Amino acid sequence: MPLGVYVSRCRGATDVLDLDALAKRFDDRAAVTRVVEDFFDTDVQRQLAADIAELGLDALVLGGHSADHYERALSGKLLREALADAGVNRNRVIFANLLEQVARPHADDPEGAVNKASAILEVAYLRATMSPAAEMTAVEPVRHVLVLGQNSEAVVAAQRLLQLGFKVTIADRGITPTAPSEARLVATTAFVSGHPNTTVLHDASVQDASGWAGDFDVRLATAGGDTTVKVGGILLAEPHNVDWVSELRGHFRVDVDDDGRARSIHPAAHPSETVDPGIMVVPLRTSSSQLREKVSAADSAVLALTMLLSQPELHRFAEISAVDEGLCGGCASCVKTCAFGACYIDAETGLSHVDARRCRGCGKCVVSCPVGARDIVNSPHHYLVEAIKSFARSDVKGSKVLGFLCGGCGYPAGDRAGEAAIETGRSYPASFLPIRIPCGGRLDTLYVLEALQEGFDGVMVFRCREGHCHNLIGNLDMDRRMNLLRTVLRSRRLDDSRLRIVDISPNEGETFIDAVNDIFAQVGELHDLKGGAR
Amino acid sequence: MSKPRLATLVLGGCTGCHLALLDTHEALLDILEAADLVHSPLTEGDEIPECDIMLVEGAVANEHDEEIVKRAREQAKVLVAMGACATLGGIGGLRNLQTVGEVFETAYGDEAGPGDESLPRLFRRVRPISALVPVDVEVPGCAPNTETLVEVIGAALNGQLWKAPRRNLCHECGRRHETMLDHSSAFVADAVYSVMELENIDPDRCFLEQGVVCMGPMTREGCTARCTAANVPCRGCMGPSRPEFEQGGKMVDALAAVLPAGAIMYLDDLIGTGYRFSTAVSVLPGLWGEGGEEQ
Repeated sequence: MPLGVYVSRCRGATDVLDLDALAKRFDDRAAVTRVVEDFFDTDVQRQLAADIAELGLDALVLGGHSADHYERALSGKLLREALADAGVNRNRVIFANLLEQVARPHADDPEGAVNKASAILEVAYLRATMSPAAEMTAVEPVRHVLVLGQNSEAVVAAQRLLQLGFKVTIADRGITPTAPSEARLVATTAFVSGHPNTTVLHDASVQDASGWAGDFDVRLATAGGDTTVKVGGILLAEPHNVDWVSELRGHFRVDVDDDGRARSIHPAAHPSETVDPGIMVVPLRTSSSQLREKVSAADSAVLALTMLLSQPELHRFAEISAVDEGLCGGCASCVKTCAFGACYIDAETGLSHVDARRCRGCGKCVVSCPVGARDIVNSPHHYLVEAIKSFARSDVKGSKVLGFLCGGCGYPAGDRAGEAAIETGRSYPASFLPIRIPCGGRLDTLYVLEALQEGFDGVMVFRCREGHCHNLIGNLDMDRRMNLLRTVLRSRRLDDSRLRIVDISPNEGETFIDAVNDIFAQVGELHDLKGGAR
Repeated sequence: MSKPRLATLVLGGCTGCHLALLDTHEALLDILEAADLVHSPLTEGDEIPECDIMLVEGAVANEHDEEIVKRAREQAKVLVAMGACATLGGIGGLRNLQTVGEVFETAYGDEAGPGDESLPRLFRRVRPISALVPVDVEVPGCAPNTETLVEVIGAALNGQLWKAPRRNLCHECGRRHETMLDHSSAFVADAVYSVMELENIDPDRCFLEQGVVCMGPMTREGCTARCTAANVPCRGCMGPSRPEFEQGGKMVDALAAVLPAGAIMYLDDLIGTGYRFSTAVSVLPGLWGEGGEEQ
């Protein structure tokens, strides 16, 4: 299986890491290793495509910026698409975070930074060798948009969409629909309500939803009964309306801010896109906004939607493997743990199945499954176990702490901590080793035991604050599991304060730094008490 | 042509597996017709003879066990680990959560201590026999199902290695699911009860739904679900379906969304419930910081 290892100078930001030596470590294992300037450079992408074609690479390790950088930023999306076009499966492009979680926070500890970088690159290499190719489904986008809300933005967005040839269903929450909220939009409102491709559902609420970008089914309850619409995209015209937001959160991954309002992936660069690519928000504004700001906010959301739905096909990647019928006995643990109602027991076979249209890829069912009958594609069980062992073997100096960072909040907070370290001059030890998991709910008790057995002095889990989990209650399920595990740890006469759960928001870099320093201070003391636990 | 030679052995066990072997009734007569029993706890002599099939009951708890199991491996063509102790460490593995000094204190009081030369030296940890010698067939259960033992021996006599089934117990447990199938984040019961606390337990309905902790989901099938059929929850003696999985850890993972976690936490004996038979094969098989050395 030919594999390429590339490390990026990130335009000089990772120079502290001795990239040539890092890349050389993989010379005997990888089909190609290169140090490049920046993965976003056109020349570098051409080089990657040429290597993929010439050497038949089928997996890539890209060391540089945080994986989130490539998930959330437009440039990152373009890079991912370029690599997919060149022929490498999306799930086999592995980003090793050498900048935000190594070079930045550990700039003043070059030796620690180099050791940590090589440990992280080794784990990324492991992941590349152990990640299955994700199965792709092509979706022809439905040219119909569900607009939730009946404000000026909703009317403006609907008008744009109708004129672009989309069908629009507008659902309101019982506001008098005929009274235009804005006198200057009378004509626009009339155009929308009189258009043959408009459906208005009064006093509606979302009862059920499934599907993915390009192809959603949404069932709405109204006074006149239930209506199911098939739409390509959903526009939250009132992201501050927590009723809509909480109804959607039962079915989709929705990122919310401290007030429960739906949040985009990036307020400046991507103000409309959310973590679910088929759901857009009208960018949040202040209450004193002028009409022109409302109109441009609606335009921004419409542009994002039409860019998505005008593509001839969208690609949907399976998140969860099929159930291994040789293992599943139909205990239904997965049914109870799934917050999205995606797992069910088939009445005929008595075995578990996943409704792919409802699965959001949090991995909770994988953890709850007592026989390991299914796995999650982006963080397979065997990869996580091997990653823990690999980190334990790495020649990082001093007490070692393993950090599981949830993709929703923990991981971005870890990235933010790198920036905070540069801004404040305060950082944390380089022997803190991070593993990204899609959700706190992906954390199996086995991984904590494995880490302690392998010699880690402490284990941390960084998870979303209560009410903020993208997967609704992944964080709380994880808490329950870890708190029960404490009993297991105490039975081994292990101080269970070696296992820490940290609540965090994506922007709390300094909290991240403090929490890591705190556990290091404590494991130092525990060492002293036991005369060296290891 | 001479008959195949069959032998059996007990290490750190309770002889319950041997009783299961005797419980095979007439089938035992067929086995003894097809094979010569050359060694067993009831035969004379300590020397383990050469044999085709060796059934080993019990875990390795001390130096004596180690010596015997290694000798058995040398002498046997097919070595069968019989029962929960031989395959998982079993009940005796729970003593791994104590120091050797504490074990002596509990077992002998003042009569003997760790250095006593009249006793075989006790290892720091109880281990399954596969931790010391290669094992050809693992037969789970405390005690194994008698029909299973007949199958295992029958297969071995035909030159085949029996394989344990891999699904969990729920597959062969006939109890019905109701609330377990609900797509709701509510727990299936509002509290956790011991069997004795309940006046009535619906014999046809999943124990978990009635608030009784049952190890069935975390446990390999193949026992014919005889406990749950007798209205007794599964205790997990067949061990985990996949050897690399923690039975007790998986209990936590699986049940955290099923039963109130707070109530599970205050079970009288969470470890004894989750790891009753499999402490010795846990990732952390003993006390923290005392895991490595066996002496």
